[in-house]
Amino acid sequence: MRVTLAVARDLLREALQRRWILALGVAISAVVLVLGMALRMEVVDGALAATRLFGHVVRHDIRSAEGAMNPVFQAVAYVIFYGGIGFGILACSDFGAELFSPGRIEHLLSLPIRRWQLLLGTYIGVFTLSTVGSLYGAGAFTILLSVKSGVWTLRPIVAALLASATFSAIYGAMLASALFVRSAAVAAAVGGALFVLGIVAGYRDDLAPLFNAGPSRVIFLFVTSLLPRVSQIANAAADLASSHAVDLPHLGRSLFGLEAFGLGCLAVGMWQFERKDF
Amino acid sequence: MTSATMAIEVSGLEKSYAGLFGAPQVALRGVELSVPRATAFGLIGQNGAGKTTFLKTLLGVVRPSKGRVRVLDGDPEEPAVRRRIGYLPERLHLPAALAGVAFLASVARLKGLRLPPRALRESAHRVGLSSDADRVIGTYSKGMKQRLALAAALLGEPDLLVLDEPTDGVDPLGRADIRGILAEERARGATIFLNSHLLSETERICDRIGVLARGKLVREGPLGELVGEADAYRCRFVLPAPAAALVTLGFDASDEAGTFRLRAGTPEELNFRLDAARGAGALLVDLRRDARDLEEVLAAAMQAAS
Repeated sequence: MRVTLAVARDLLREALQRRWILALGVAISAVVLVLGMALRMEVVDGALAATRLFGHVVRHDIRSAEGAMNPVFQAVAYVIFYGGIGFGILACSDFGAELFSPGRIEHLLSLPIRRWQLLLGTYIGVFTLSTVGSLYGAGAFTILLSVKSGVWTLRPIVAALLASATFSAIYGAMLASALFVRSAAVAAAVGGALFVLGIVAGYRDDLAPLFNAGPSRVIFLFVTSLLPRVSQIANAAADLASSHAVDLPHLGRSLFGLEAFGLGCLAVGMWQFERKDF
Repeated sequence: MTSATMAIEVSGLEKSYAGLFGAPQVALRGVELSVPRATAFGLIGQNGAGKTTFLKTLLGVVRPSKGRVRVLDGDPEEPAVRRRIGYLPERLHLPAALAGVAFLASVARLKGLRLPPRALRESAHRVGLSSDADRVIGTYSKGMKQRLALAAALLGEPDLLVLDEPTDGVDPLGRADIRGILAEERARGATIFLNSHLLSETERICDRIGVLARGKLVREGPLGELVGEADAYRCRFVLPAPAAALVTLGFDASDEAGTFRLRAGTPEELNFRLDAARGAGALLVDLRRDARDLEEVLAAAMQAAS
């Protein structure tokens, strides 16, 4: 495990030197800082009396602070979920291709590391990166909005963790694809395709009637049954963040399917890695 | 020799790559090789001869299709064996975002070495990167990257150094530095396995040579044996040289006018013969060992192989 964690730590160290990752951190910090200075919320006895952004009144009606903040937390959850996964696919697409690039992989494989440790370490490194990134984004917004509104909740942070779990499954497929084709563009394309198809798969029951009954519908249902239900988890994350009721057994099944998909892809990647010559 | 005295033992090694369409591509065909410990072995051959594939099989990066590879008395895929190997790949791709010293720290960690920052800086200093150790690798020249990779290969005083074109992109003075470092490593007892297109470099560093042609090891042995007899000399005399007298004294005429070949087992015998030649009126202007260079050895081996 020590070697696996050393690989993950090196990946994180390398990631922190990258402009994209640094830019995301700076952007989140800047938005939080500007909002922190520009947003004013007047809360009286648990009711949000007025909201001002850059001095302009945003809301006139008086309502409970919690009721007013729920849609905001919901929007933040959606932005972090879809924005975070989209950014992760782009920013992390070349980790696999870099790792397996000629001249680097031979060097890494000549070190006292097992191949599976290298792959698992990379996966853990990217998972940690996405988790820390989403926690930083969600944590910063949650603390800011909680301080301003007086509504303290951890739900948006839990929603961000769901985003991270979803990304980790997609990244499993991206990493496996890099072992077949050592290309960042292909990995990004695989990630992007899974992201979009995963959104479609989340609405498969609603979309299935659009296909004629028969082979086309059967094929659609079969293909989408294999994909992670990205949009279902996104909706659950947003509902969770906004204190709406969440069907926990259904969410649990979606998460199980998601992780089975990610680990399955990783297993295929390991199989390919073990038999491949570099 | 027993296996414990061998750094590398390869028997019946074959490697073929499956072709997408058509016949598989054969890279190595039944290679047999034993490299004793504490020697410097140079592998030479033309492009596509299978040298890099062979090197990679020594590291477990490429798996043999057939045959057996033992390195430092173990399986090259075993982490315990790899811990004792330092490798410098031909096509270098180092993480551009890391500083040189951070890269060394990463390699040390993955090798399971606990080296203090001072030791890492000393490693960088040894390869001539002391003032650039904190710069990110992305700003390094090709030669600097090569030096850094060599420093990484040397971490932990490995028993076997596998170097694929170690001086590629390095300036002439840098090459001399690297030769010096490799000489120090040999003096320490390390085995060096070198693959280089620079035959003069190989000749200077290695004491055993192997010639690989079309995936087969066609020549292998001590350098002196391959390049010529240790007791053979080439003498050039002022023209006109007394050829008949020289032939009587044991000199063999060569194609070049005034140049003769001579075999002498000891310095005493050599000087005795030269004194006799001078006594016969021949005036010596040049004396050198009658040896071929590696280029000629390679050309002859290739010709024989074809």
